Amino acid sequence: MNRLSRRTLLKGAGVALGLPWLESIAATTAGAANPKRFAAFYMPNGVNVPMWTCEGTGRDFKFSPTLSPLADLKDQITVFSNLYNLNSKGGDGHYVKEAAILTCQTIKKTQGADLANGVSLDQVIAQKVARETPLPSLELGVTPVAIGVDAVVGYTRVYGSHIAWANANTPLAREINPRSVYERLFRAANAGKGSGSKQEALLLDRVLSDAKRLRAQVSASDKIRVDEYLSVVRSLEERVTRASSGTQQPWKPKMALDLKAAPTDQPTGHAEHVRLMMDMIAVGFQSDTTRVATFMFGNAVSNVSFRFLEGVSAGHHDVSHHQKEEDKLRQYQLINKWHIEQYAYLIRKLKAMPEGESNVLDNSMLLFTSALSDGNSHNWHKLPIVLAGRAGGRIDSGQHIVSPDDTPLSNLYLGMLEAYGASQERFADSTGILPGLLKG
Amino acid sequence: MRIALFFLTSALSLAAVETFDSVQAFLGTHCAKCHQDKGGAGGFKLSRVTSLESLKTDGEKWKSLALRVKNGEMPPKGAPAPPLDDRVAFTQWVDHELRNQACSSGIVAGPSPIRRLNRDEYSATLRDLLDMHLNIGSALPADGAGGEGFDNAAETLFLSPIHAEKYMDAAKFAMDFAAKEFKSHNMIFVATPKPNVTPAQAADKVLRRFLTRAFRRPVTDTDVAPYLALFQNAQKQGDAFEPSALFALRAALVSPMFLFRYEPPNPTPNPRPLDNFSLASRISYFLWGSMPDEFLTDIAAAGKLQDEEVLKQIIPRMVKNDRALGFSQRFMDQWLRTRELTTDKIPDDKLFPGYAGSEDLRSDIRLQPALFFRELLVRNLSVLNLIDSTHTIGTGLLEKHLDLKLPLNAGAKSQPQWVELPKGSNRGGLLGMPAVLIVSSYPYRTSPVLRGAWILDSMLGTPPPPPPPNVPPLGEEKAGAPAASVRERLTRHRADPNCAGCHSRIDPMGFALENYDAVGKWRDQDGGKPVDNTGELLDGTKFQGPEELRKILLDRKDLFLRNLTNKMLGFALGRGLTLKDSCTVDSIVAQVKEKDYKAQALVEAIVLSVPFRNQAGMVVSKEQVKK
Repeated sequence: MNRLSRRTLLKGAGVALGLPWLESIAATTAGAANPKRFAAFYMPNGVNVPMWTCEGTGRDFKFSPTLSPLADLKDQITVFSNLYNLNSKGGDGHYVKEAAILTCQTIKKTQGADLANGVSLDQVIAQKVARETPLPSLELGVTPVAIGVDAVVGYTRVYGSHIAWANANTPLAREINPRSVYERLFRAANAGKGSGSKQEALLLDRVLSDAKRLRAQVSASDKIRVDEYLSVVRSLEERVTRASSGTQQPWKPKMALDLKAAPTDQPTGHAEHVRLMMDMIAVGFQSDTTRVATFMFGNAVSNVSFRFLEGVSAGHHDVSHHQKEEDKLRQYQLINKWHIEQYAYLIRKLKAMPEGESNVLDNSMLLFTSALSDGNSHNWHKLPIVLAGRAGGRIDSGQHIVSPDDTPLSNLYLGMLEAYGASQERFADSTGILPGLLKG
Repeated sequence: MRIALFFLTSALSLAAVETFDSVQAFLGTHCAKCHQDKGGAGGFKLSRVTSLESLKTDGEKWKSLALRVKNGEMPPKGAPAPPLDDRVAFTQWVDHELRNQACSSGIVAGPSPIRRLNRDEYSATLRDLLDMHLNIGSALPADGAGGEGFDNAAETLFLSPIHAEKYMDAAKFAMDFAAKEFKSHNMIFVATPKPNVTPAQAADKVLRRFLTRAFRRPVTDTDVAPYLALFQNAQKQGDAFEPSALFALRAALVSPMFLFRYEPPNPTPNPRPLDNFSLASRISYFLWGSMPDEFLTDIAAAGKLQDEEVLKQIIPRMVKNDRALGFSQRFMDQWLRTRELTTDKIPDDKLFPGYAGSEDLRSDIRLQPALFFRELLVRNLSVLNLIDSTHTIGTGLLEKHLDLKLPLNAGAKSQPQWVELPKGSNRGGLLGMPAVLIVSSYPYRTSPVLRGAWILDSMLGTPPPPPPPNVPPLGEEKAGAPAASVRERLTRHRADPNCAGCHSRIDPMGFALENYDAVGKWRDQDGGKPVDNTGELLDGTKFQGPEELRKILLDRKDLFLRNLTNKMLGFALGRGLTLKDSCTVDSIVAQVKEKDYKAQALVEAIVLSVPFRNQAGMVVSKEQVKK
C-alpha cells in the first residue's frame, strides 16, 4: 500500500498529522543528544490561595507554605502569579475550567453530541516529536473517566476527565493501571524486535484498507470516527514498520526496560497509586520511550478521600468549598501540599537521572496546574502554576514571575513551546511570550 | 435531552397559563434590551423567535433559550430578573410547544451515528464469538458517557492510540487462546485441509464463517479475499494451516468492521426500514450488549426481522435470557449513577465499618437495583414498582443490613432472591435500596439536598438548575455532626431569596428520606435527636417519611415513566435524544400506559419504535449536490 495515498486521504479529512517521514528523521538526529521532555500535572479543585501564594518577586522570593516542598529545588523552579485562562470563564464551575487547562479554549456545552475543545499543549508538542520516540505521549491518571452526563449543568463528564486533546473533537483516553503503563512502555520500546513485527505491519495494513472502504461509505459526521480509527491504527503501523525496518532505526532506549520491574496493578491506596504513576513517567522519560506526559491527580470535581493524611477528614471537593471556615481551609491546604509533595518526588527523581552533562530534569519542563485558584468561588483568575526544569537551559528558572493581573496563561504556553523547540506564532488566545520566562 | 418540564411543581400545570403572545411579551420585557436586532448580544437576535413558525424551524434556538432562562443564566446578573414563577411558566410553555411542533411532522427516525463497541460490548462480543469466558476488555480504558448518560452513546465513544494497542494485544491473546481451547477452536475451524480439500479452500470456509459472525453480517468474496491473502502470506512464511488462519482472523478482530457497529448507510434522501442484519445487531446490543446469536441471525437471514409479530415473540425470549442480566446492570447502574459506588461514592470507613468491611455486602447492595429491574422484566411487572413495590431483592447480608426479616430461601441466603417485603418495611422501590441512598449521600452524612436533587434528576428527569455562581453551597458538617443542624442550616439557606426558589423544591423530598443513613440503614434517631422526616411541597402539601414520599412520586408516575422512557430509548439507540425524538417518546409512553406500565411493554415499544427500526435519509450537503 502506498504511504502517500494514505496520507493524502487523511489530510483530506482534516486530521492533524505530524511531520512527514523524512523531516522527522532529520529532527531526530539533530535533537538526539539532548531530548527535551514535557509533562503536565493537573490537580482538581483549586487551592487555598493565601497558603499557596509566594512572597517576593524575581529571584528574591520565598516559597509559600504549600510550595515549601520545592524550596531546596529552587534553581530548577519557576513560580507564576496572576495568569488567568480567559476562555475558561462562565459555563460552569469545573468542566469548562478543567478541560481548558491545556487548551485555553472554551469547550462547547454539550452532553456529547458535539464535543468541542482545542488541541492541548502537550499534544502540540507530541505531534511535533511523534516520530522521535516509540510513544508520542502518555496520558495517565488514577481514576477512571467520570460516569455519566452532568444534567444539572449540561456537560458530559467526559470533559471533566480529560486534559489532553488530540484535536478539537478527540480527548485522549488515560491509562490508570501502573502495571499496564509499564507493559506498554516495554512493548513500545521493544517493538520491531522478533519475527512477528513484519506480520503485524501486514495485519495493520489489512485493517487500514477495511477502514478506507468504510470511510468511503459513511456520512460526513461518521467520517470523524473512522478518521480517528485511521489515525490511531496508522500511527501504530508506522511505529511497527519503522522499528522493524533494518535501515532506519534512529531510536534506542536510553535505559533498558525489564518486565520483571513492572509495578503492581493493584496499588493499596490513592497515595501509592499516584507514586507509581509518577514512577512510570520517570521510566518513560529516562528510557526515552516517550517525551510527553500528562497526569491527572483526579477528575474535575474529584471528591477523593484524603483521610490518609493526618488531620484531613473530608473529601477533596467538599473542602474546596471551604466558605472561609478555618478548619476546612486548613484541610484544603494539607491536600494541596500533598499534591506538591508528589510533584516534588518526581522532580527529585528526574534530577537524580544523569544525562549528558546534566540530568533529565534539566532537560524537562514539568508543569503543575490547577484550573481554579480559589475553589470555593470557582475562580479562574490568578491560577496556581509552577514549572520545574529548564528545557535544556532555555527556561530562566529560579524565580517567581509576577505578571500584570490577568495575563493570559497561553502566553506561558507559547513561551514553553518556544523553549521546547516547537515554536508557534500563537497558542489559543496568547498575545506574546510571557516576559521573563526565557533566557536571553 | 434537556427539554423537560421545569422541575416538579405540585399538581398544577402552568403550561396553560401562557400563550404565544404572553411569551412574546415576556421576551420583550426581559430580553429585548440586549437582543433587539441591532444589539444581538452573544450572537442571539430576538427576531429569530418572534414567529410561531420559528418553533418549528428554530427549535434548537428555543430550546437553548428556555434552558438559559430556566437556569437563571438569562437575564444576566445585574439585569432585572423575572420572578421564578414567570420563568417556570415560560419554560414550560416552550417545552410544551416544542414537543407539539416536533410531533407535527410525524415521528421520524433520527440520526444513527456509527459507533464503536464500548468496553463492555467488546468483551461480551469476543466472549460470544469465541466462547471465551474472560473479561478481555478490562485492559481497555473505561468509556465516558454522553447523550442520555450512558457509555454506549456514539458521540463520546472516541478512539485513542491506547485503544489501537490494546485491540492488537487482545486480538493476539484471543487467537492464542482459541488455538488451545477446545470449544473456541472448534467454533473457528469448521473446515480443515484434507486430501480433497486444499488449505486455501479450507481457509476460505473458515474465514467466511468467522468474518460473517465477527462482522455480524454476510460477507462477500471481496470482503474475504484480503483475509485469504493474509492467510496465504503466512503460509508462504512457512506457517502451518491453523496458525496461518488464526493470523488472518487476528486482523478481523482489529478491523473497523468488527470494532464498530456498522450499518450500511441509507443513500436515499428518504427514511427507510433498517436492513435485517443491522436490526438484529441493534436488538442484540440493546438487550444483550453483545452480538446476535444464531437464532436471531437466522431470522435476519430469512428477512423476517422487520415483521412486528416476529419481534413481539422474540423480545420476551431475549429479555428472559441470561445475557439480558448485563442489560439490567449497565442500564440501571448508569441511570441511577450507582456505578459510582465503585469509584467516587465511598462511605467513610471509620463511620461505616460494616459497609467498608464486607465486600460481599457491597456487592449485594450494588446489584440490588439491577436484579430488581431484571425481575420486573422477566416477570413482566409494572415499572412503577421502581417507585414502590411489595417485593425486593434480598440476600442474607441485605436482610441484616436492612434490619428486616425476609422470607429468604434458607439454603441459599447468599444468592439474591425475589422476596416479599414485610408490611411497613419502608423498603419498597428504588428509594428503599441502599445503593440509591448511598449514591445520594456524602461519605460521612446524608444530604437532603443531594437526595432531593437525585430524585428530581434521576427519577423524574427534571434536574434542578445549577447553583448560581457566587452563592457557595451549604457548608459541610464535621464528620458525624447531627443532622438536625443540617436542617437548621438548610432552613436558613432557604430563607435567602437567592436560594429559596430552588431549594424549596429540592430539599423537602430529601428530608422525607432522613430515616435512611448514609449507607441506607434505618434510623429513628440521629445525633441523639429524633429524625425529622417532614417536608412540604410548594403547593402546601405536607408529607412525612418515605412512604408518603412514594405516594407523592406515584402521583407523578407519568413524569417518571417519561423519564424512564427517555433513558431507555437513549440507551437503546446509543445516542442522545433530539427534540424530534420527543414525539417517539410520547408514543412509547402512551403504549406503555395502555399496557399497565408493564416492563416488557416498554422494551417492546422501544424496539418497535420508528427510530429503532428505521434509518433516516442521507443528508445531502450543498457541496455534494454541486458534484
